[in-house]
Amino acid sequence: MSVLLAVLVVGAGSLAFRLGPLLGADRLPDALTRVAGWAGLSMLAAVVVRSVLTHEDPGLPAAPLLGAGAVAVCLLATARGFSLLLAVTAGGATYLAATALVALP
Amino acid sequence: MSRYLAAALAVRVPAGPTTAGRPAPGGTTTAATVAAAPVPRSDLRAGAAAMAPMLLAYLPFGLLVGAAVAASDNPVAAYLATWTIYGGAAHLAVLDVLGHGSGWVAAAAVGLLVNVRLSAYATAMAPDWRSASARRRVAAGVMLTDAPWALARGHRAAGRRDYYFGAAGLLFVGWPTLVTIGVLAGQWVTALPVAGLLSAMTLGAIVVPQLRERPTAVAVGVATVTAVLTAGLPAGPALLVAGATGGAAGVLAARAGRSS
Repeated sequence: MSVLLAVLVVGAGSLAFRLGPLLGADRLPDALTRVAGWAGLSMLAAVVVRSVLTHEDPGLPAAPLLGAGAVAVCLLATARGFSLLLAVTAGGATYLAATALVALP
Repeated sequence: MSRYLAAALAVRVPAGPTTAGRPAPGGTTTAATVAAAPVPRSDLRAGAAAMAPMLLAYLPFGLLVGAAVAASDNPVAAYLATWTIYGGAAHLAVLDVLGHGSGWVAAAAVGLLVNVRLSAYATAMAPDWRSASARRRVAAGVMLTDAPWALARGHRAAGRRDYYFGAAGLLFVGWPTLVTIGVLAGQWVTALPVAGLLSAMTLGAIVVPQLRERPTAVAVGVATVTAVLTAGLPAGPALLVAGATGGAAGVLAARAGRSS
């Protein structure tokens, strides 16, 4: 029962977050929408940072560090104009290679 | 088959906010890249084409959420959240809090805090949707989440709504599919630690091309530092703090740019 309640409450709240500003779009000042854009991208960046900092790999204490390196490679590849799929593949391959190197005796 | 693979590999992430018909300052590659893409002709198809590789990168995350759903005390209710919450991070957070024995109030509070960023996305979308019908706004809102929002933000203003629908529509169909697969066979993914990084890489790759605009770069830079400093906080409050500091930094950078 508690799962259902939580799911329904978060679902209703999330729908309000999604729909409220769009249905009231006519009344929102442009300055606020610009700030919301920066805030939104800031939260996306924070999601990425938190994913890296909380990254876990059993038996690998330096997992967040290796994860940060792999994500950096991916982001660098994106900045250099590589497609998303290639950039993510490069980042993933970097992580796998780094963990293999660290695991060497 | 090889043509489709080549097309998927060639789809680049849009480069930043653009104005109608021409790229915004600093976002020079966006309109040209999207308009010149050989496969998708319409904005709707271009949005779907941009989302397709992301869906592939989201695969491990979807499987992870599906595995958490299968492990829940009430798998049916937890599965329902795929559509009601419609956000992997909030979905996982709610199930995690419930799994640790906290009540539904605590779980709901955490889930709402994680998803409150959606109101920032919807607010940022407002100028593009003022002239849209209420039905289209509701459809756009129901499908709103991180990747389609950030993708559409980088697309040229003319056609941005169709582009958004292409990206968001594909994810709206694809995400529940991934979670369903995860419910049935997602346990193996926990054995692949690199899988946990793929969605972070995907989201980061959407943000990076938008950093050519100075206030955005400043906002994201400040938010990145804030996220490191608040790493010890729960996800919900930490994201709010990062959003607030990033938004404020963007305002200050824009003002500084105007005055200079």
